[in-house]
Amino acid sequence: MNNKNKLRCLAKRSFSMLGFSAALVGAAVSYSASAAAQGPALKAGQEYMVVASYPNQLHVIDAEKDSLYKSCDMPGRFGPGAIQVAPDHKTAYVLNNGYEDIYGVNMDTCEVTFHAKMSQASNERTKTLYAFALSYDGKELYTVQNPTILRSDHYEVQPTRLAVYDTSAGLKAKPIRTFPSPRLVTAMQVGKDGGLYMAGADIYKMDVHTGEYEVAVPSRNWQRERYVQPDVLNVWAVQTPTEDFTILYTTARFQEGSEDLNTADWLYGYFNINLATGETTTQDFAPITEIYFTGTRSPKDSNIMYGVLNRLAKYDIEKQELLGVAELDHSYYCITPNNDGSKVYLAGTYNHVAVYDADTLAHLKTITLPGGDMSTTTAQVFIR
Amino acid sequence: MKNRNLPRLAGGVMVAGMLLPTTSSYAADAEQIIRDNCLLCHSEENASAPQFSRMSHQRKTPEGWLMTIARMQLMHGLKITDEERRTLVKYFADRQGLAPEETAGSRYAMERRLNTMESFESADFEQMCARCHSGARVALQRRPAQEWEKLVHFHLGQWPSLEYQAMARDRDWFDIALEKMVPELTSSYPLQSSAWESWKAAPKADLAGRWSFSGQLPGKGDLHGTMTVVAKQGDRYEVSVDGQYADGSPIKGSGRAIVYTGYEWRADLTIDGVKVRQVFAASKSGQQLTGRMFEAVHDEVGADIVAVREGSAPMLLDVQPEYIRAGSRAQLTLVGTGLGEQVSLGDGLQVVKELYRDDNKVVVEVMADAGASEGARQVSAGSANGASVNVFSSIDQVKVVPEFAVGRVGGNGGSTPKYNAQFQAEAWANGPDGKAGTEDDWRIGFVPASWHVEPFDERAKADRDTEFAGVMDARTGKFTTGAAGPNPERKMSTNNAGNLKVVAAVKEGSETLTADGQLIVTVQRWNNPPLP
Repeated sequence: MNNKNKLRCLAKRSFSMLGFSAALVGAAVSYSASAAAQGPALKAGQEYMVVASYPNQLHVIDAEKDSLYKSCDMPGRFGPGAIQVAPDHKTAYVLNNGYEDIYGVNMDTCEVTFHAKMSQASNERTKTLYAFALSYDGKELYTVQNPTILRSDHYEVQPTRLAVYDTSAGLKAKPIRTFPSPRLVTAMQVGKDGGLYMAGADIYKMDVHTGEYEVAVPSRNWQRERYVQPDVLNVWAVQTPTEDFTILYTTARFQEGSEDLNTADWLYGYFNINLATGETTTQDFAPITEIYFTGTRSPKDSNIMYGVLNRLAKYDIEKQELLGVAELDHSYYCITPNNDGSKVYLAGTYNHVAVYDADTLAHLKTITLPGGDMSTTTAQVFIR
Repeated sequence: MKNRNLPRLAGGVMVAGMLLPTTSSYAADAEQIIRDNCLLCHSEENASAPQFSRMSHQRKTPEGWLMTIARMQLMHGLKITDEERRTLVKYFADRQGLAPEETAGSRYAMERRLNTMESFESADFEQMCARCHSGARVALQRRPAQEWEKLVHFHLGQWPSLEYQAMARDRDWFDIALEKMVPELTSSYPLQSSAWESWKAAPKADLAGRWSFSGQLPGKGDLHGTMTVVAKQGDRYEVSVDGQYADGSPIKGSGRAIVYTGYEWRADLTIDGVKVRQVFAASKSGQQLTGRMFEAVHDEVGADIVAVREGSAPMLLDVQPEYIRAGSRAQLTLVGTGLGEQVSLGDGLQVVKELYRDDNKVVVEVMADAGASEGARQVSAGSANGASVNVFSSIDQVKVVPEFAVGRVGGNGGSTPKYNAQFQAEAWANGPDGKAGTEDDWRIGFVPASWHVEPFDERAKADRDTEFAGVMDARTGKFTTGAAGPNPERKMSTNNAGNLKVVAAVKEGSETLTADGQLIVTVQRWNNPPLP
């Protein structure tokens, strides 16, 4: 979508960065003394949710009682606190320390068992923009790294790369394989067949042994008649109970025979990859009436889509119909359903995890974390 | 990063309180500062004159150099004193500045006109560069291709999330920046230019003397006076200002100025107890100054200023007020220099009485005939001319100026002051066709109005924006924005942002003419360098 409007206002410019910069600004609300760094081990069969927050803690929430179960202190500085939970549900991997390090935290003991620095050289500054995922068996960690070589009087931005780590490599993990990667990759997930799905300009699928990749779901390059190029930004790779990797898009669909954006239908939709089957979906589900940072489908009814930012909304996908909304006390970035689909959890911004009834959208509870702002943490629900 | 501000950088190039070496020695001093502090990262190049990597291959405004050097302090550990920084800014701005022609069209950025609507022919330039900062910040630099290329690498290396943002993630930002923007910038803003070569060789005027100035401060009105400038060493001056507003209130103050690049006048003054800055450009002849004088903390409050040096060719800068109603009697103040005895106001206007006269100012009582034709009259006082007065019979329409503005919440214990908004009511005549909105409409001038705000739309009404976003002064058109921070009284504890309709009402006989504009009150500008 080209912006045809040539008049620009300096003071309005911040609007053009809405979406990403808004998501990255994580103002700490308040810092209270950290809770006990240690705490009880997780119980088998019990459902939990994990989030990270300022000052720099990982919080495990009991998803049955909807109360804080324990908090673990993490090394480095907080940010962004994006999380992937290992398939054995013992270790949480957290992208932290200003997007520059990934730590594996044993949730039973709070012990840091894994550490990978994204930078591979002393004169390299490397950030990972949320792009990390675990193999289906949890033995490997995949990251897309954005390196910059810091020369003495200038910088050299390097091509992005996929770096593969052995999750048993301990605290000084080094890549065991690297491959060139497309730029602009954010959220990633791995399919049961081992393929790495990378959300960038398109959603790619990479062979993590050869580095070869192909487009699994076209996004920027989709060919949908009368649709403009969609806008996609997802930094929350939520690991859903149904093993769906879901990413929202916004787009416009011209009226038949027209190319006028003023009369076009502005639509929300989602890309989905079922990680177990590899089935892919591109599906509109609603007119754009407000912004959602994340959306997720109900684990018990795949025709139901929830979206959140300033309101919690619930849609019938097939009918493209709004079923209900809940007004919120403040913005929430990340929505995650529990395993049986009876509740949805809202996290990100502030230190409140809000719990809603998935059917009625009634507010059930707000869990206040002991620390500060969650920023763009990924809320992950799992059964130990 | 937000705690790492150099607190006094925010407003501009500082000149206050300095004791600097003379012109003859400051270049040597600057080069010594560079050798002592910069060569850990930069290298001295093999050349006849001292030349250093990166820094010797760019040209910038004083503000541009200040931002670069300050960035070295904030991000790269450069440790120099404020005085050393001033020496470096002066050195670079003089040796590697921009010619007057090269800053034309972009001066609004240096003059801190943050509500400027920018427009560029290149859509690529707007989307690739001016999406995050002003286009003027780029247009006020000159580099060869290698340096533009390094600037691209710096941008993405320093702000890796840049390519993921809206209007970047829809394209291959990095490739376009290198392959398309570097050639475009090299062609539009090259290091070498004939304008710069000729300006470098041109004689530079000493700006000492007495200056007659006129201006207009939105919310306060016309102003005029004299500015006395005394030369000190190294292009530095002592400045005192003595003038008055149209309502008779005084403008008195003093401070210091420095001239960069032979024409870039920067002054820090205290006027009536308020710290203000002057960002002026001297004309090539050194006989005129034009620019803006604004408050140091609230740079949204500022006056357009034009000044002429006493002793230069006679010139009329301004007639205040800029209009007179046909059939009325009014006082007009002529401002300029070398104002002659014979005041000519054009058809239908007669001087009834001369109330005051000196070389720079003449105040006359004027009668405008009831049948005087509408339109502008060229005014002269002896051989001094160059200004006009508008004769009108009725105000037919009013416009709010600016039509669209952005204010920002602030204060409330936060690091960033409020950014208020100031509106003016502009009177217009419909012209010969008697219809509004046609080509022959003509501007009469700014007139007093009564002001209020309303919700801009249904959303603003539902969110009660008018109750939170700030307060409009009904008399002056100054809107003072709300306090910063989350407001628990608002829906979702949102801040005191708002979308407001700004309404001006002007009495014209028994009628009230109204006009409206739009004011967005939004969040703070956290990153507020000298060039926006």
